[in-house]
Order: sequence, then structure tokens, then C-alpha cells
Amino acid sequence: MKKAIIIPTISLFLICLFATLLLGVVNGVTEEKIAQNAIITEENSRKIVMADAKSFGEKTEGEYTFDGTTAPYSYVEALDENGNSIGYVFVTASTGYGGKISTMTGIDKDGKVTGIEFLEIGETVGLGMNATKPTFKEQFKGMVSGISVNKNAPSGNEIKALTGATITSKAVTKGVNTALDIYENVIKGGANNG
Amino acid sequence: MSYSKELLSIFVTYILTQNFILSKFLGICPFLGVSKKLNTAVGMSAAVIFVMMISTAVTYPIFNLLTAMGLEYLETIVFILVIAALVQLVEIAMKKYIPSLYNALGIYLPLITTNCAVLGVVLLNIDTNGYSGDLANFGRAMVCSLGAGLGFMLAMVMFAGVRSRLEGADIPKFLKGLPITLIAASLTSLSFLGFAGLVENMFA
Amino acid sequence: MAEKKSLGKEFTKGLIKENPVLRLVLGTCPTLAVTTSVSSAVGMGLSATAVLVCSNIVISLLRKVIPPKVRIPAYIVVIASFVTIVQMVVKAFLPDLNDKLGVYLPLIVVNCIILGRAEAFAGKNKVLPSAVDGLGMGVGFTIALCCMGLVRETLGSGTFLSGVSSINNGSGLAIPFLSQHPMLIFVLAPGGFFVFGLLMACANKLAEEKGLPKAVLHGCENCPMAKSCTIKEKENCASGEEVAK
Repeated sequence: MKKAIIIPTISLFLICLFATLLLGVVNGVTEEKIAQNAIITEENSRKIVMADAKSFGEKTEGEYTFDGTTAPYSYVEALDENGNSIGYVFVTASTGYGGKISTMTGIDKDGKVTGIEFLEIGETVGLGMNATKPTFKEQFKGMVSGISVNKNAPSGNEIKALTGATITSKAVTKGVNTALDIYENVIKGGANNG
Repeated sequence: MSYSKELLSIFVTYILTQNFILSKFLGICPFLGVSKKLNTAVGMSAAVIFVMMISTAVTYPIFNLLTAMGLEYLETIVFILVIAALVQLVEIAMKKYIPSLYNALGIYLPLITTNCAVLGVVLLNIDTNGYSGDLANFGRAMVCSLGAGLGFMLAMVMFAGVRSRLEGADIPKFLKGLPITLIAASLTSLSFLGFAGLVENMFA
Repeated sequence: MAEKKSLGKEFTKGLIKENPVLRLVLGTCPTLAVTTSVSSAVGMGLSATAVLVCSNIVISLLRKVIPPKVRIPAYIVVIASFVTIVQMVVKAFLPDLNDKLGVYLPLIVVNCIILGRAEAFAGKNKVLPSAVDGLGMGVGFTIALCCMGLVRETLGSGTFLSGVSSINNGSGLAIPFLSQHPMLIFVLAPGGFFVFGLLMACANKLAEEKGLPKAVLHGCENCPMAKSCTIKEKENCASGEEVAK
């Protein structure tokens, strides 16, 4: 009876131990590469959202509460060839239809959006995924704090929602608005939120 | 948006617009396999709701533990084992102490371990609500799994009705059997597509 | 010579005669979920094949060591480890594919093809046949996914091979007319069910001509959990035969 319990337990334990060891080893090999990939994507995206910048400063990370949800964010300062600050590039998170959307937003000294890019997005192909098309992303250029979504005829500080994907459009807009809010309150206002 | 309103919107979203079966394709096996009779469909989905809730309640704190130790990469293996062990434990306990419930739900429990809807809801919860381990996010995760489970039940029950109609229908020979079942599923899914704009306008 | 012949047979049975998706009706979730484009279908197919071959080899090696009582949990551990390894490798070297497959990549763990093959084949056979069986089943899975992906991508987005970064910067070859007027419904959820249903009808038609039985919806013999399944009225579970009448 005792044997019937001990042998399966030990063999299962050994299998688990071995599996975990193997995973640890593979993780050791791939971890660095995964981290590197993330850095490369981020650096390439920075150049797209802030085309005028020649170099970027150190990354600052934190958490920020916007519209009832708390999410982590990060930002870097964008510098021109003389090392003068020309704006900031933010990475903010929001929840779309298919999960987390990580948006990168470039904001210049006047608090205007210079461009957006997605670091992580997994929306419905054919609907929400259309957010990655240039026609949608271009709309955000020049917008200021408090962007809203309009389904039919956008005017002023509004963007046109994607057909059949208002949730995605709103989520992206929320990400960009969060970045604008952080710029206003944390960087310009000097307040230290979270 | 207030917290309670947000929870309500998550709840409705997961039942109607992001239905696990009809729009996320999670749990197709039981959907096609045990939706033939209404009572089995209800029993299976009740068991799924139950397992989804307890798995989320258990794996959510475990993920925070894994994050604290920098072992996030073990999440898949840890979650599937925890779910499997948990289901087994619940089955044994239920058999011994609540035999009436066991007869209604317990028989479906072993089938649920390898149901992708359960592992799916757990992983999605970590992905969307896993920002930090505070209680508010835990609440979102729980409401999300309750909604996902109820959505699963809704799809199963509706489809059981559709299939009972199919039995008496005169179906072209080449579509008989599985093909017509899938096409019926396609139409059911199409009808759920109509809910797409509902939630955002309800809670706007 | 005889050995070689039977190995060849193990490989080819997974392709057509016992195609896991179209004949055994296993792994339906990824078949529907990640076939919006050919490239993600191939990515999913190959990831699952890698897991299937590796787990079949290891399970076959350990078949005499694993006590029968804890067989299923042991298989799950082995499969989950390989899935995690594939996940890490994909994340490191094919980040675009990782974004596309999303949650469906870790969900390979609960793909019934893999546990089903472990239980039905690898747990009882030698290493080489198990590896070949896994490869055949994996390739069969990939072929079925590709068929789905090809139809859905062509009709639903009007492109061919989108997502392959070397072709047209990742947006694929645009198909004239269809790319201007894509039938969006094919890449959405209902289109998935619809295309799968029609594909299944074709597979059944071909099988009938060859004199094989129709694909049965979850015949209990293919279900990895059949042994622990206690649903007394089996007709509730294996409903396919009745429907097929």
C-alpha cells in the first residue's frame, strides 16, 4: 500500500524536477534574446513616433492612474543633435478587445502628439487589427490632451473610429490620452503620481 | 467609470461580445461534443463555470508569487498542473461529501482538465488584468471568469436547441453529420456578432 | 526493409487517412482560431509539430518508468515543458509569430492531438515509430490548418502570405479585385466555422469515395480522457455515429 503511493509520487516529482531544470536552462538562453528584441522594437518605434529626435535619454518607469485604471508606463526624453530636449516618448498600456494594447506615443514640447506606434497588440484580424494601418495612426498627429473618438464625422480633437472596432479605437485613444495626461501632470506639472 | 460599473461591463462583454466559444474559439471540443442534449449541455457548462472560478481564484495569487520570484516563464506548466490537481481534489471531495452534486456535475470534471476554455481564461486574466496584484484586479479577474463561464453556458444551451432542430431537418447528403453542425455553429456565431456594439453603448 | 515500410506507413497515416483535424476531429480550437492567414496557420502547425515530436519521443522513452497511475499528469508535465520551450524560442526568434498566436501558443498544452497521441501511441510504442507518428500527425495538422488559412485569407482579406516579412514588407501579395473587396466575414469567427464545415464536407466526400467511414465527432477511442470519463450514457459523448446516420 505504502509502495503504491511512494513510487508514483517520487517518479512524478523527478519528472517535474527535471522539466523545471530544463526550462530554467532554456530560459537562460532565450531570456536575453527576448529582452533584446523588446529593446530593438522599442528603439525602432521611438524613431518612428519622434522622427526629429537624434537621440533619447534614460528610461523612467512608473505607475499611473488614468480614468479609473492603474497601469505601468515608461517614458524617455527625446533630444535633438545639440542635446536639447524636443519632447518625450511614452509607452502606456490599455485594454482592448483582445487583451492588452501597449501604445508608444511621441509628444512634443507643445503637448502635441507627434506620432503613435504599437508595441503589443492582439486585436481581431480584419477589424481591430486595422489600427496598425498608417491611415488610423496618422490621425493622432497634432492632437492635444483629451482626444475623443467619433464614429462618423470627426472634427477638431477627434479621431475617426475604425469600422466595427470602436472598442479598439477607444482603447488606443485611452493609451494616447494617458500619455498626454502624464506629460501634463508628471513632467510639466512636476507632480509625482504613483 | 466607477469600479462596479466597470465590473458589470466586463461581465456583459464576456457573456455576449467576447463569447469564449463563439468569438474566441475556446472550448470547441465540448461545444461540439456534448451539446446534443440540453441536460448534458447544462451539466457540462455548470462544471466549467465552477472550475473556471476556482482556477482563477487559485492561479491569480500563484502568478503573483511567480512574478515575485522572477519565474513567470513557468506559468503554463504551473497553471495546468494546479488546475489538474485542483479538479482531481474537488472531484474526490465532491464524490465523498456531496454525492448528489457529484452525480450532476462530477462526471464532467475529468474532461475539463484538458479544456482549453479553462486554461484560456486563466491565461487571459493574467494577460489583461495582471498589471499588479491588488484586490481590484483580482475582482476583475473573478468577474471575467464568471462572465466567460456563463457565456460558455449560454452558447452551449443555445446550440443544444439548434441541434435538436437539425435532427428532423432534411439535410443535403454531403453536409450530413459534422459539416452541418459546424455551419449551424457558424450561424449561431454570426448572430452573436450582432452584440458587438452593445456593451460600449450600454456603458458609455 | 519491412521496418522501413512500416515507418513510412506511420508517417503517411497522419497526413490523410488519420488526419488529426479532418478525420479524427481533434485540435479544433486552434484550427478555427489561428487560421486567419496562412502564415499564422503554418506557424501554429509547426509549433504544435515540434511539441508533438519531442513529447512523443520523451514519453516513449519513459513509457516503462512512468507508473500507470500517474500517467496522465506525467504526460501533461512533459507536454507543458515542451510547449514552454517552444514558446520561449518563438518569443526570442520569431516575435511577430508570438504576437499573432497570442494565447493560443501556450494553449498547445491542452491541444487534444498531443495528449491523445501520447496516450494512444507513444505510451505503448518504441521511440522511432513514436517520433515518426508525431511528425506525421503534426504535418497532417499543419496541412489542415494551411487549407483553412488559404481559403480564409484569400477570401477574407484578399491577400496571399501576409505576415511573411520578406514579401511586400509583411502585407503579402494583394490578389486583384479581392483585396479591394475582401469578404471580411471569412476572417471573423462565423467564417471560421463555415470554412471548417465545408472542408469537413469535402473530407467526408473523399473518404466516402475511398470507402472509409465518415469523420466521427469525438469517437471515444480518440479522446485522451476516455479512460477516466464516467459519462454513463456514452451516446451523449460519442454523438457522431448517430448524427452520421
